[in-house]
Amino acid sequence: MGLFETIRSVFGTNAESDATRAADPEDLFGMSTAYMTMEADLGYDHAGEAALCFSGVDSTAFADAVDEVEAILDAGEAETGTGFHQHTDDHGYRWFVLEDDDPEDLVTSVHFAADTFVESGFGSRLLAAVFGFETDDRRAYWIYSFRRGAYYPFVPTGSSDRDERVEFKLQSVLESELDVEDDESYWYPLWPDASGDHPWE
Amino acid sequence: MEWSTDWGLRGRMAFTMFLLFALYLVFIAFLLETGMISMGGAIVFMGAFSFIQYYYSDKLALRSMGARTVEPDEAPELHRTIERLSQQADLPKPTVAIADTQVPNAFATGRNQRNATVCVTTGLLNTLNQDELDGVIAHELAHVKNRDVMVMTIASFLSTIAFFVVRWGWLFAGDDRNAPPVWVAIAVSLVIWMISFLLIRALSRYREFAADRGAASITGNPSALASALQRIDGRMDRVPSEDLRQEAEMNAFFIIPIRSGIIGKLASTHPSTERRIERLRDLERELETA
Repeated sequence: MGLFETIRSVFGTNAESDATRAADPEDLFGMSTAYMTMEADLGYDHAGEAALCFSGVDSTAFADAVDEVEAILDAGEAETGTGFHQHTDDHGYRWFVLEDDDPEDLVTSVHFAADTFVESGFGSRLLAAVFGFETDDRRAYWIYSFRRGAYYPFVPTGSSDRDERVEFKLQSVLESELDVEDDESYWYPLWPDASGDHPWE
Repeated sequence: MEWSTDWGLRGRMAFTMFLLFALYLVFIAFLLETGMISMGGAIVFMGAFSFIQYYYSDKLALRSMGARTVEPDEAPELHRTIERLSQQADLPKPTVAIADTQVPNAFATGRNQRNATVCVTTGLLNTLNQDELDGVIAHELAHVKNRDVMVMTIASFLSTIAFFVVRWGWLFAGDDRNAPPVWVAIAVSLVIWMISFLLIRALSRYREFAADRGAASITGNPSALASALQRIDGRMDRVPSEDLRQEAEMNAFFIIPIRSGIIGKLASTHPSTERRIERLRDLERELETA
């Protein structure tokens, strides 16, 4: 425990300062090369979709920020053809879901959206960026946790089980190029609502 | 999304801790001066006792509440709620427990973030909607994040010893003619214990305000926690008191303490619900006007 953390503990402000700490979306660009490695070394095709998960704030300024992200993604759609839609999951968390056959465009759009949240002062509301992959028989995800500033793999089998063996394999292959969360207790699942769906469906 | 720093709250917290620290220094000086430190063995014993209590705080609290830990397949929705909020709070997922009582309440315990347990009562699950439940659980996670079990254990340690002297000091009446009579030691310890008791309770109330702010930061929705507090408070008045008596000791860890007419405002572990709601409304206002 460092000095600042000790002081924050004394004043009971750890929760507040960590929950309001802004995210750093620059790490998202690491996914560009990861997409290639996933295909070349592991045989995973990209799922053509990626998504940004965030928790809402009960305020007008936040609604404005969401509108702004929408406007930016609209502009991006006209330019690169990256489609998008919004989704609210069963837990009340909100998603921007992006669709494109070019992974590079997916990464750029997710970064744009995340950056816009940060610029509007709501970077702390970003929970995760989720990048989808698939083979013939399974789906896998790389999740970027904005709270931790690190990636972790997520391979759901059904709607409440995960294949840890495959996850560790993904970790060991991608470890050299992605900043992978080494504490597995932070590998939070983002379960799909129904088996076989994406977490954002 | 950031709130302006509540310097008043920090100032009061620092001042309380300073007073407590000064008080404890006086107490230690007194023990050394009067030779009461010969009770060293007893102090070591109390220290070990406090440590064990701290180390097993999660299990002790769960047992005294009659709560049981639940696995994800038993309570999938609750687990997912806690997962998301822990993720937002940047905490490893705590153990999840449910206490089977109609009193709507929640508490968090455990010596550190890795050994934390969040417990909710079935009454809470039945009373609140999802947003309100998020607020209450975020409040408990804020306690974990702020290390409140550790802070309160350290803050109360010497107070426990003072209490021990008050209770058992007469056993240590020695033959040493130079030492002051044991009733002096007991009287001084009693004063120290009473003052430290009030200070510790004040500190506990400030930690509640801090956890409310933490919860608002985690959920981004201060008014949901406010309405949860209001709803729990309203329900509490209607619960028969027989159920409450046995739970009185657990008060310090509850989101809202159980009412008691005898305990005054100064001795209460939690600020009044009205004041907490007022503070949450301030945060809500800040969201709209900042």
